[in-house]
Amino acid sequence: MTPVHFSFCSAFILGLMGLTFHRTHLLSALLCLEGMMLSLFIALALWTLQFEMTGFSAAPMLLLAFSACEASAGLALLVATARTHGTDRLQNLNLLQC
Amino acid sequence: MHLTTLILSSSLILVIAILIYPLLTTLNPNPQDQKWAITHVKTSVKAAFLMSLLPLMIFLDQGTETIITNWHWMNTAPFDINISFKFDHYSIIFTPIALYVTWSILEFASWYMHSDPLMNRFFKYLLLFLVAMILLVSANNMFQLFIGWEGVGIMSFLLIGWWYGRADANTAALQAVLYNRVGDIGLIMAMAWLAMNLNSWEIQQIFFLSKNFDMTLPLIGLILAATGKSAQFGLHPWLPSAMEGPTPVSALLHSSTMVVAGIFLLIRLHPLMENNNIALTTCLCLGALTTLFTAACALTQNDIKKIVAFSTSSQLGLMMVTIGLNQPQLAFLHICTHAFFKAMLFLCSGSIIHSLNDEQDIRKMGGLQNLMPMTSTCLTIGSLALTGTPFLAGFFSKDAIIEALNTSHLNAWALILTLIATSFTAVYSFRVVYFVTMGTPRFLPLSPINENNPSVINPIKRLAWGSIIAGLIITSSFLPSKTPIMSMPLTLKLAALLVTIIGLLTALELTAMTNKQFKITPTIPPHHFSNMLGYFPAIIHRLTPKLNLSLGQSIATQLIDQTWFEATGPKGVSSLQVKMAKTVSDAQQGMIKTYLTIFLLTTTIAILLATI
Repeated sequence: MTPVHFSFCSAFILGLMGLTFHRTHLLSALLCLEGMMLSLFIALALWTLQFEMTGFSAAPMLLLAFSACEASAGLALLVATARTHGTDRLQNLNLLQC
Repeated sequence: MHLTTLILSSSLILVIAILIYPLLTTLNPNPQDQKWAITHVKTSVKAAFLMSLLPLMIFLDQGTETIITNWHWMNTAPFDINISFKFDHYSIIFTPIALYVTWSILEFASWYMHSDPLMNRFFKYLLLFLVAMILLVSANNMFQLFIGWEGVGIMSFLLIGWWYGRADANTAALQAVLYNRVGDIGLIMAMAWLAMNLNSWEIQQIFFLSKNFDMTLPLIGLILAATGKSAQFGLHPWLPSAMEGPTPVSALLHSSTMVVAGIFLLIRLHPLMENNNIALTTCLCLGALTTLFTAACALTQNDIKKIVAFSTSSQLGLMMVTIGLNQPQLAFLHICTHAFFKAMLFLCSGSIIHSLNDEQDIRKMGGLQNLMPMTSTCLTIGSLALTGTPFLAGFFSKDAIIEALNTSHLNAWALILTLIATSFTAVYSFRVVYFVTMGTPRFLPLSPINENNPSVINPIKRLAWGSIIAGLIITSSFLPSKTPIMSMPLTLKLAALLVTIIGLLTALELTAMTNKQFKITPTIPPHHFSNMLGYFPAIIHRLTPKLNLSLGQSIATQLIDQTWFEATGPKGVSSLQVKMAKTVSDAQQGMIKTYLTIFLLTTTIAILLATI
């Protein structure tokens, strides 16, 4: 694997591990999600440059737009959680199961 | 420049300048004195009338017509608009007549509106109307005609709603504007067609270029405009409602000048219509229908002004029939003679109304022959002229029209309708004269009956002289451009007179029956049809708006609010998603960490396998 390939793969996997093994705050999971998106963005941009497919140049922008939507959805969920449960701490989420 | 044309042009422009001068004196911030209406407006109209006799005499003597183009107003690249006055046969004759009638009406109005604190404003509005009307009849291009057209429409609105505290007056004014607007659509369509296809709004150029085109569409537009402005059937209810305005307004606008503007438009642009059979047939049938329908409605009305309004509408239908017969000059002759006796009928009505303390119902008048001799005499003269009594003013125009109708090879249905309407004219005219002047008084004893004021008597007398001799003077002075057919069977020649006499005899018989019981139960349906104006206002003014408004409400509430917004739009989407999310999330047990760890493992193995 080329060094570039290795760097964004590892960035992706690290972000995924951060999403998986989050312990206290929901917000940190969302931040790791953003990191995953960032690595994917770099991957798409490098794909375009590497294979010299100029028609594919818009793909990173598309990914950015959709990731913004998803981030806002995640933040909305965060705010909703904070509204209903008081904090975004994860141990609060199953304290009172209704 | 030749002396004749110099005198003609300068006197005509001077007429317009004399009429505009009092309007300019109102622009200064100092208030006018009380007598401004009489000293400025009435004398300016009188002076303008006397001034306009000069071009009339020159035209009589030498047949001079003139087109005065003053100012190049505006242009887009290939299209010019000028200020241009056309004083031909029609406008040179119409202007003095209109000014004569207006002078009499203004003098009468100085008595009628005497107690009104805003009398100066009333006279200003009447003068503004008169200027717009003169602009309309002297226009040489469609733009100037449109300015005059809209001007008379707006002044009509302001004058009908003069007593704006009265809800009925506001409704009537609004009705006038709306019905005129529908007609204006036709005029604007015609103007747009002319601008696009003939690239000109000048009348001479239109006449010259129209030979190559099929003019049906703009002609239908012009007929629609005439239907709106001249209250033909379909757009007629505004004219009887316009009687809410003061009587001088009814006399000036809605009998002599404004309502003939539509007919005048068709007369002016008649060369476009000469060869177009669709337009001619439309005019003929529409005019015949109008004249019969409105004459039938006039038979059972009880308000004296409404009867005269319906008779105006009936005569306008007759003018439309004449245009459909390809006889614009006869229609114009009828316009001129009709102005005199109709204005006089309105002035007599106004005198009677004021004398009986604002009583307008003819069932509450009677016996005025001895109490108001001058007014009732002139009422009778006017009614006789209206019915076409031989050798009064109306005879020359009405009889000529009916002779032309009889000897033409056109629609017999239109002919029959017109003849029936002529007999109805005799009936309702006699009804007015009978109820107002004959019999015993049915009004309150202490009515302030006084016609001794010269401001009342002189205008009515002047118009009476006009009603008697105007027809003779006009027909003997001007040659007809189309040869009338002189030989016809005796019954056809006397048809108008016979029908009128039959109507009069029928009316006399009916009045003799008023104190006998001919039938035990009266025939209600025809009376109700006539009295409710053919149910036309009741249906159109109630049903159509109700249908439109309920359609609008169902679109707004049911279609947009309930369907698009709630069932299929945002709310529908969200309710659908919530249902699906609830169904799905019941299946989960919430062990997020386990799920995500397995996911991580799978993804890592997949990435490593893909790269190695």
